Amino acid sequence: MVRFLIPSVAVLLFLLEPEFAMLSPIEVSGHIYYLVPRFLILYLIFISIYYSRQRAVMYGLFFGVLYDVFYIDIIGLYSVLYPLICFLAGSIVKIIHQHLVVTTTISVVLVAILEFVLYQFFYLIAFTTIPLTEFLQSRLLPTIIANTLFLMILGWAFKYLINARVLQRAREVS
Amino acid sequence: MPQFFFNKKVILLLVGMVFLVALISFSLRDRTNATLPEQIIKDTVGVAQSIVAKPANYITGIFNNIDSLLNTYEENKRLKARLEDFAAVQAEALVLKSENEKLMELSKAESLKAFNPIQATVIARNPDQWEEKIILDKGSSHGVEKNMAVMTAKGLVGKITLVTPFTSEVELLYTNNPNYRVSAMVLGEKEAYGLIEGFDKERNELIMKRIDSSLTVKEGEKVVSSGLGGIFPKGVPIGEITEVSTDDFGLTKMAYVKPSADFSILENVVIAKRTLTVIDGSDGDATNVDLSNPQKATVEGEK
Repeated sequence: MVRFLIPSVAVLLFLLEPEFAMLSPIEVSGHIYYLVPRFLILYLIFISIYYSRQRAVMYGLFFGVLYDVFYIDIIGLYSVLYPLICFLAGSIVKIIHQHLVVTTTISVVLVAILEFVLYQFFYLIAFTTIPLTEFLQSRLLPTIIANTLFLMILGWAFKYLINARVLQRAREVS
Repeated sequence: MPQFFFNKKVILLLVGMVFLVALISFSLRDRTNATLPEQIIKDTVGVAQSIVAKPANYITGIFNNIDSLLNTYEENKRLKARLEDFAAVQAEALVLKSENEKLMELSKAESLKAFNPIQATVIARNPDQWEEKIILDKGSSHGVEKNMAVMTAKGLVGKITLVTPFTSEVELLYTNNPNYRVSAMVLGEKEAYGLIEGFDKERNELIMKRIDSSLTVKEGEKVVSSGLGGIFPKGVPIGEITEVSTDDFGLTKMAYVKPSADFSILENVVIAKRTLTVIDGSDGDATNVDLSNPQKATVEGEK
């Protein structure tokens, strides 16, 4: 049961992202703020940290390809960035402590890096013309705040779910 | 031996990089059609997405209802004020309509306004929001084709850029794409024609360019699509002029247009299939091929 729960949560998050994206952009006192939901990659980072780096990279590749084909139409962007972020997360955690607060911070920082790399890429191919300060103000900051809120609400649930799977696996092995 | 292993890894990495760049540059080209594996993925994800979209739309619907319930009193006041004008306007509209029908019969002209509506539901919006795109649950099997106009009850939203059998992709009006133009006209005392091209990010308004400088265009006037671009039906509302100025070279006028459609929460849209001849002229290759009657076009080509 738990075995199938992990991928199905990933699929669910993948499908929910665009629904949340429809609520964005929001307008607050004349300023436009873009909130980019990054639920799936946050979840994958958690898998990478608490479960298995290799598994997370595989998931990252799979969903990255789906994301590229379905939404972006530029193949090879997310399908590289997602596994890379998972790999980084899995590697960082070997050095430091696995407390929930620490992992949350790492996840948010990694998402910020992801956003920044994407901005640089789209700036390079002239999909966007907004200057860096504008990007930081109207995109990166609101996105980070929104995703931090999301992690604060659901981070413990991810951890609980993944831990259940790890325990189950340990029992299977023994 | 470890040296060899290390080299192998480096070579693998390099090959991967080359492959990646090739893949990205392949998909960045101006493609008109999705490849077969892409279509399969798009359709599969699209079906799953539309299943998720239904409850999600339902929930946002509830929130919208609550929101509109809170505004009921004010809205009612405003509507009552308008109701007085309504009877007069309706009578006038009826007269004009019958007159128009008679004239149409006389001239046997096909109206640029006529279109076959296809109802569609928005199943997703590009989550990273760099490109302004939405995805609809109707595709080529429902009769959707590339370049069709997409609108809501309030006004024009965008046009179809990519079609698979069960989904279609819409590029929204407020895009940075310089090739994206809509032929529009201002409904003033005298009709003024121009092109909607570009979007002002800071003002959050569309820019209408190439308006003849001899014509007067005023703030508050309505802008609708003109149907002259060869793709969109005529008379679809686009927005309202908020500011008029001259363009960069001072030869023509340009105006800022506040879009009438609300882009932030889109749920149900209408895809407009123009009944009159559609010409492949306004965008991309500009071949001027008659898309409505492909048979005829090829026959003419053979002569």
